[in-house]
Amino acid sequence: MSMLRYLIRRLLYLIPLFFGILIIVFVATRLAGNPVQLMTIQNPNITPEFRQRLTEYYGLDKPVYYQFFLFIGQLLQGNLGNSYAIRGGISVATLIGDYAWLTIQLQFLALVLSLLIAIPVGIISAQKQYSKLDVTVTTTSLLGTCIPVFYMGIIAIIIFSYFLGWFPASGANAILAERYLFGSFEIDRLWHLMLPTAVLTFAILAPVVLLVRSSMLEVLRQDYILAARASGLSERTVVFKHALRNALIPVVTYVGLYFGGILAGAPITETVFNWPGVGRLFVEATTKLDFPVIMGVTVFITIMTLIANLITDIAYGYIDPRIRLE
Amino acid sequence: MNKQKERTRSKGVSQWNIAWRRFKKNKAALAGAFIIGFVVFLSAFDSLVAPYPPNDISAFYTRETRVPPSFEHLFGTDYVGHDVFSQVVYGARSALYVGFGAAAIAMSLAILVGLVSGYYGGIVDNILMRITEIFLVIPFLLILLVFLKVITAVAPSGAGGLSIVTIMIGVFSWASNARIIRGEVLRVKEEEYIEASKSLGASNTRIVFRHIFPNVLHTIIVLTTLMIASAILVEAAVSFLGFGDPNAITWGQQLQKANEAVKEAWWEGIFPGFFITLLVLGFSLLGNGLRDALDPRLRE
Amino acid sequence: MAPKEILRIENLKTYFDTFAGLVKAVDGVSIDVREGETLGLVGESGSGKSVTALSILRIVPRPGKIIDGKIIYKGENLLNKTENEMQKIRGKEIGYIFQDPATSLNPVFNIAEQLTEVIRHHQNVTKKEALKQAINLFRLVEIPDPEIKIWNYPHQLSGGMKQRMAVARALSCQPSLLLADEPTTNLDVTIQAQILQLMKNLKDKLGMSMILITHDMGIVAGVADRIAVLYAGRVCEIAETKTIFYNQRHPYTNALLKAVPSLALRKQKLAVIPGNIPNLIEPPSGCRFHPRCKYAKPICSKEIPLLEEVGFEHCVACHRAKELDLKTPLEAEKDE
Repeated sequence: MSMLRYLIRRLLYLIPLFFGILIIVFVATRLAGNPVQLMTIQNPNITPEFRQRLTEYYGLDKPVYYQFFLFIGQLLQGNLGNSYAIRGGISVATLIGDYAWLTIQLQFLALVLSLLIAIPVGIISAQKQYSKLDVTVTTTSLLGTCIPVFYMGIIAIIIFSYFLGWFPASGANAILAERYLFGSFEIDRLWHLMLPTAVLTFAILAPVVLLVRSSMLEVLRQDYILAARASGLSERTVVFKHALRNALIPVVTYVGLYFGGILAGAPITETVFNWPGVGRLFVEATTKLDFPVIMGVTVFITIMTLIANLITDIAYGYIDPRIRLE
Repeated sequence: MNKQKERTRSKGVSQWNIAWRRFKKNKAALAGAFIIGFVVFLSAFDSLVAPYPPNDISAFYTRETRVPPSFEHLFGTDYVGHDVFSQVVYGARSALYVGFGAAAIAMSLAILVGLVSGYYGGIVDNILMRITEIFLVIPFLLILLVFLKVITAVAPSGAGGLSIVTIMIGVFSWASNARIIRGEVLRVKEEEYIEASKSLGASNTRIVFRHIFPNVLHTIIVLTTLMIASAILVEAAVSFLGFGDPNAITWGQQLQKANEAVKEAWWEGIFPGFFITLLVLGFSLLGNGLRDALDPRLRE
Repeated sequence: MAPKEILRIENLKTYFDTFAGLVKAVDGVSIDVREGETLGLVGESGSGKSVTALSILRIVPRPGKIIDGKIIYKGENLLNKTENEMQKIRGKEIGYIFQDPATSLNPVFNIAEQLTEVIRHHQNVTKKEALKQAINLFRLVEIPDPEIKIWNYPHQLSGGMKQRMAVARALSCQPSLLLADEPTTNLDVTIQAQILQLMKNLKDKLGMSMILITHDMGIVAGVADRIAVLYAGRVCEIAETKTIFYNQRHPYTNALLKAVPSLALRKQKLAVIPGNIPNLIEPPSGCRFHPRCKYAKPICSKEIPLLEEVGFEHCVACHRAKELDLKTPLEAEKDE
């Protein structure tokens, strides 16, 4: 029951946080400049009057707080407005709808894969400390934390796409339907997913392996592990039941923190591979000062981040009773 | 037997000596220090090491743009005609500047918040931790990009660009270290405070501060080193996305331009990227080495 | 009608291969434990007491390794057993109580889980049955409201409760031998007495033998039948408790006893054993105590003294045991 109260407390805390972030981004973008200016700067034929009309049309002449309330009002009705400059002023909701799924595909797949690999590898590495395997694993993982993701991506593209020609270098699907791999949209998508997922997986698992390993080493040194052995429990039980649960606590914390970066780190991978996701969309929108899109993506990513945080808190509370029962 | 008597008389070797000796034995840490030294050297003597002046595009005029590595251009030339090798050398200074600068800002904030929060506890702790949580939950890159866009628009462009990037990174990176430092302060408070207050009677708050800070210093040193590594990576990412300072020469920038030309000119991106990795590796190795050397639990 | 042996350790050697060198933590320890008796294992920190106990169960943590010797339990050499066989012995035949109850319990599982897990591992019973046993164990160790407390997590219990719980866990499958490693050192003084009394009662009730490891001579005086004194990985002296206290023959034992402040003495200087605990990587040659021993002779640095019988149930490892006449502070005062 205290779990429920714990959750409600967190929720009550996160909601004002959500609006706080919205306000900050909203005000910041308005301070960054005039999108109308940016949009029309190339075209010398546009008159100042036209610009003025455009500004009024977008409601950008009103005071900032007024704009914000308008935004919130529309938001609560589920309306995210229309883009200024992307795909001809399409509805932001449509944009995000199209792209969000792609981002989630990539990020989720990479996260799951990397955890599936990182946790066992970290455990084995800890059990066989100082062995050749351990040294290889730690060295590789350390390198993995130092190589920038986009650099990894570029190298991967050079080797696997240009040099070997095994995988496509950009996009989520071939542009022309006739070019789909084996004629199937899904298979073509998977084929396009391979390279970015591989790169992102490696980038995520490197620090996690190191964390699992060091956490396990720390836990395996504890008295209660020795006590569990002294009770006659099998080594497997000792490691996978007693040790692992304790060792995963910092890992859960880390993955939770990472979530703040996951969807926010998406821009990098998506830019390198030209992956049509929400991250790449955000970069484009921020460059063009496309306010509705910026706000829309912010809403989306922030909600996702806060949900992820909540899930992490649940997981954390589940694993470590000391947190639950204060 | 006499040797043992001598050791007890010499009051024990200081913690720092022990740490230094341990550090010297750690090959990886030494490698890290060496790498950093190398890059510092490059940045200090960049105009001497680089064969061409910064942003020099003489190759443009000789139609030698996008030329693969050769004797004249060790790392080749890029799309405009820059000598990649020279540009990479000039980029060293920016990387170090951002790394140290951002880390300085982030750690200062982290130390301040962590110490105050951990030591005073109570309402102050509560408030500060709430603020820290806010900064932790905010989607990092998202906010960073937006703010960079704002500040570069609002502030006069030019020489300040890189500093702005530095400050921004610092301002958004302090939260997690603040929490760690606070944790350490709490731990030390448990250990030392009780002793101190008992033995000194009414202990001066300042005196206890002097006891807490040195013990947390180990953690701070390690965190700072690792923060530098992280800051360098963030700057590279941000520049890669096009939100850096266009007037500065940074490795991330070079990679941004190189991204468009991966197919034709792999050398444009490979070399700057390699140097980013190298420098980050240097600080990571150093940070890990310091952590192992300074870990008080590993006393023999 | 010699009392039956339940455990005999012969010339046990356990070394730790560390970065700093080879630490000879246990270097030729021989002791025996009889059925139903409590053997006190005494020594300073670093004497090898805990490592000996861990060696019996063969759970010495890395980089420790048992190099040589025999550990004969109920007639069988434990060092010849497979890991599977050892797992059946640990917790069931031989129980272990750790020093610090705060760290010897897993913080993320509740007590019920930790107790029933051990019970169900060694016995083929249902969860319900195991739980019933666990609650009974709690009653045995005198924890009030066992049905409620058993669902608590370790951090919710006081130090004394935690240690009772640790005792319960060690006894859960009715072992014949109990290894108690400084079970009361980390507890408040008042609780210490309670736990010791509890252990004594349970031991008698269940007919167990016990090895009680401690550095506190006071504790061992009241609880142990015989005492073995360890120094730097070797046994100095084994004898009945009374003998140790009133007729000790090893200089180290004598020094230990002198170092214990006593209210019975009228005037007392706090005696300190000069010198330091020896370096276990490069220990002193011959008798390990000789650098600090005021009775040392040249032979002491050359030859390792072996345990020799010097009286009824009294073995000493000292070249000069037969000639020395050591007096405890109490005796010395009496003589004055």
